[in-house]
Amino acid sequence: MEQRYANCWRLTVNEKKFIESSLLSELRVDGRGSLEYRKLSIKFGKDNGSAEVQLGETRVMSFVSAELVQPYKDRPNEGTLSIFTEFSPMADPSFEPGRPGESAVELGRIIDRGLRESRAIDTESLCVLSAKLVWAIRIDIHILDNAGNLVDAANIAALASLSTFRRSECSLGGEDGQQVVVHPPEVREPLPLIIHHLPVAVTFGFFSNENLVVLDPTYHEEAVMTGSMTVTLNANGDVCAIQKPGRQGIFQRVIMHCLKLAHVKAADITTKIIDAVEKHNIQREVQKVKRHSNCFTD
Amino acid sequence: MEIDRPDGRSPNQLRPLACSHSVLHRAHGSATWAQGETKVLAAVYGPKAGTKKNENPEKASIEVIWKPNTGHVGQADREYEMILKKTLESICIRTIYPNTTTSVIVQVVHDDGALLPCAINAACAALVDAGIPLRHLAVAICCSVTDNNSIILDPSKKEEEKSKAFAYLVFPNTTVSVVPEKSSQVGNDPMAHGIITSVTHGAMSVDDYLHCLERGRATTQRLSEFLRKNIAPKSTREASKAG
Repeated sequence: MEQRYANCWRLTVNEKKFIESSLLSELRVDGRGSLEYRKLSIKFGKDNGSAEVQLGETRVMSFVSAELVQPYKDRPNEGTLSIFTEFSPMADPSFEPGRPGESAVELGRIIDRGLRESRAIDTESLCVLSAKLVWAIRIDIHILDNAGNLVDAANIAALASLSTFRRSECSLGGEDGQQVVVHPPEVREPLPLIIHHLPVAVTFGFFSNENLVVLDPTYHEEAVMTGSMTVTLNANGDVCAIQKPGRQGIFQRVIMHCLKLAHVKAADITTKIIDAVEKHNIQREVQKVKRHSNCFTD
Repeated sequence: MEIDRPDGRSPNQLRPLACSHSVLHRAHGSATWAQGETKVLAAVYGPKAGTKKNENPEKASIEVIWKPNTGHVGQADREYEMILKKTLESICIRTIYPNTTTSVIVQVVHDDGALLPCAINAACAALVDAGIPLRHLAVAICCSVTDNNSIILDPSKKEEEKSKAFAYLVFPNTTVSVVPEKSSQVGNDPMAHGIITSVTHGAMSVDDYLHCLERGRATTQRLSEFLRKNIAPKSTREASKAG
């Protein structure tokens, strides 16, 4: 469907009408049900805290890193969490390098609100020396392939990489107990972050017909839809954030229906993330054992 | 002199190579290239109409965007962009589509030494995947000089940091019909000679540099075989990207 010229990326009127009319007959272009997610696969990289998520054809990579910084003055005992979203030009010909556009900023803010306000990551355990040194966790999200619904994929990638991230252990030493010694990973096993719950984002798309609600819209469906809503909630049913940025008005009963649906989907996705993280941790332990046995046989 | 490399390789041995192409759906061409643990993903869009202000509109221009995995884009990343741009400009046939821009976006997935050669190989494979007209292929390799003046190929990050000096070398990969006299043959087909790009870090003697060139040149045979095998289409049923 796409032309060779990278500038011509708009959908034709025929394609838009086709998507709309087939949705009226409950058919989606890729054959899914209207409330079905695409295939989700979560892979981890060699480093602690790097994850790659593929949701259908959408591909997102996330890296977590940490460094010691001075805390904010009004929160001297808490670490900080910052999210940087990169809409890489490789994901979509319309993404320009340089300053992030408004959709990149919106995506970053949705993920940020889901993690920060709901206190999913325990920031008090990131404090090393009160009012002097705390850990600043930095999440870099790279969008590699835009095939629609970047928010959900990026959120899952951020959660997966946070779950596998390990920060170096540090202890207080010196004469006055004020000197901080950071132990490298070879000396002391690095520690995982304390994560209370996993806030999962679920995105709905609305169309000109009020009864049409679609879950996990693809890139073409996003160009046709007249409104969207992203609900961030965890497996317990706590709503962490709702994002409905203007556009078409939606009835309250539709929103309540979407929230109930989102709860079911969020529980499903949470189990998938936890399973993938468990499998990765087991693999990592097995690899460590192998290395030690090599040492002994030499 | 026996060299003890931490992962048990011989001085001329490369790390295991892995390459896959057409990994992304939106990009016109894409490829991943991994040498051991170093992994790079490259995507190509193009040609797009129009060139930037400083570029020559009579030729096709290449735009390179380098994305590190963490942190902001720094000076080193800008340098890599410039080197990649000049290298790729020399292998593309720029006179075919004048006044167009082809964008090459490189994303670092993991850096374990020899990052720039890995990126050049990935970018070359991605350009082939996108169908951009190329004069010839390019293969890149890293050679480093250790403290006891021996040359090792494809160092890992730890080996790079410990070495006295290292050089990133890019060689052309094309067969020639006329072979100059007294030139050594690499493999079965007569290959073109010459170096496209050479970036060195640290101080090394002239002899060491020439040894690096020789060793690098000898390894390009293996690398280019691997590259050619991997970029061939998997089946004839695969439709072209533009469809």
